[in-house]
Amino acid sequence: MAFLEIKNLHAGIGEKEIIKGLNLTIEKGEVHAIMGPNGSGKSTLSNIIAGHPAYTVYEGSILFKGKDLLSLSPDERANSGVFLAFQYPTELPGVGTALFLKTALNTKRKFLGEKELDAVQFMKRLKTRATALGITDEMLKRSVNVGFSGGEKKKIETFQMAFLEPDFCILDEMDSGLDIDALKVVSDGINVMREPHRSFLMITHYQRLLNYIRPDVVHIMVDGRIVRSGDMSLALYLEEKGYEDYR
Amino acid sequence: MKITGNIGFIRKNNVLSPLDLTGGELSFSVDQDETIQIYCLHLIGSLNIKVQLQKEGARCSLNCVYLSHQKTRKNLSFEVIHDEKQTSSEQIVRGILLDQSSMNFVGTIRIPSNSQKCVGTQNHRAVLLSDEASVSAIPELEIYADDVQCSHGSAVGPLDENALFYLQSRGIDKKHATQILLKAFLTDLMPNEIQTVIDEWMAEYV
Repeated sequence: MAFLEIKNLHAGIGEKEIIKGLNLTIEKGEVHAIMGPNGSGKSTLSNIIAGHPAYTVYEGSILFKGKDLLSLSPDERANSGVFLAFQYPTELPGVGTALFLKTALNTKRKFLGEKELDAVQFMKRLKTRATALGITDEMLKRSVNVGFSGGEKKKIETFQMAFLEPDFCILDEMDSGLDIDALKVVSDGINVMREPHRSFLMITHYQRLLNYIRPDVVHIMVDGRIVRSGDMSLALYLEEKGYEDYR
Repeated sequence: MKITGNIGFIRKNNVLSPLDLTGGELSFSVDQDETIQIYCLHLIGSLNIKVQLQKEGARCSLNCVYLSHQKTRKNLSFEVIHDEKQTSSEQIVRGILLDQSSMNFVGTIRIPSNSQKCVGTQNHRAVLLSDEASVSAIPELEIYADDVQCSHGSAVGPLDENALFYLQSRGIDKKHATQILLKAFLTDLMPNEIQTVIDEWMAEYV
């Protein structure tokens, strides 16, 4: 049984089809990268896996650890182990970051039949993970994603991922808006999470990110379909030639 | 929870005391350099609050949270009269509506021609959690003086779909996510005594 298996997926917004018969299989422990030009449907795919209500699936299936992902609500998908690191994390004014993380963590623990953490255990876990990614106490006191720079938002997304320990991480353009230093911090944060039981799907325009996080498989997505798959050399080829051959 | 009536508080000279809203009609006059802050939790019926800023330097702040469910119909009216120059007022109204409930809000700011250098603001926002709930918000600004600062704004709509999705994508179910966002929407508005009742209401009805 594959870890994630997408078969003949057709999906879009309203009547507008964006994903047009996509197939993708990811095994446990693998890191896959999807590259593609603007408008090819990469971000749509990540939103559909996470369950964004704006998208409709017309046909096809997504199995995650053998479970029918499409029949689950977004929160059930998250608690089953799916995590989407957003390209543009939503700002939640008035919702404190620390309290938000505590709610998210304890909801997941409850879902998995584990004991909820008390305030002391939670703070200890929070501090340990935060220090590694350069997240300050001051940042945790702010409202979720409010008043953060582009780089800080991506660090907080990575931090949430490390904190919630999902099995399957979708990284939607993690490198956009990051300078070299921040890219290094975020990539290090992701690399330490690479483990045999965890898989990743990275979505990116550029090969740059792949120099920091080496993928096992690279896919090229054009017009709602995966048109070619290969190893890292495919990304290098794209960097040189662009997407022209695949349009 | 049993809803028995509306709940009010007034802060005057930095002392917070309960305000009886049973009659539904209240009026206040504010003296020279005096400030009053009124807080109400509007749960049933009609509520009309009128404030006259009688002397120079008088200030008032009118704050209301209304929570509506089932088929309740409510009316809220805030009326501020700037009798003297250099007086200032603010009106802040936040509402949550469920089911087939409806709300009619009228906010008046009146500034006669001799009351120069006054400041009057009004802001109304409401979240509709049902397609059948409705709000009418009418700002009535009667301004006859020409050297004043006045503003009003109103926004009514459902909760932000992306904000809900963000919380859900972190494992928080839709009901809990909705409560978190509503609590944030009303944050730091009301004294603790009222906030506790708001929390109870949300736990029961949302």
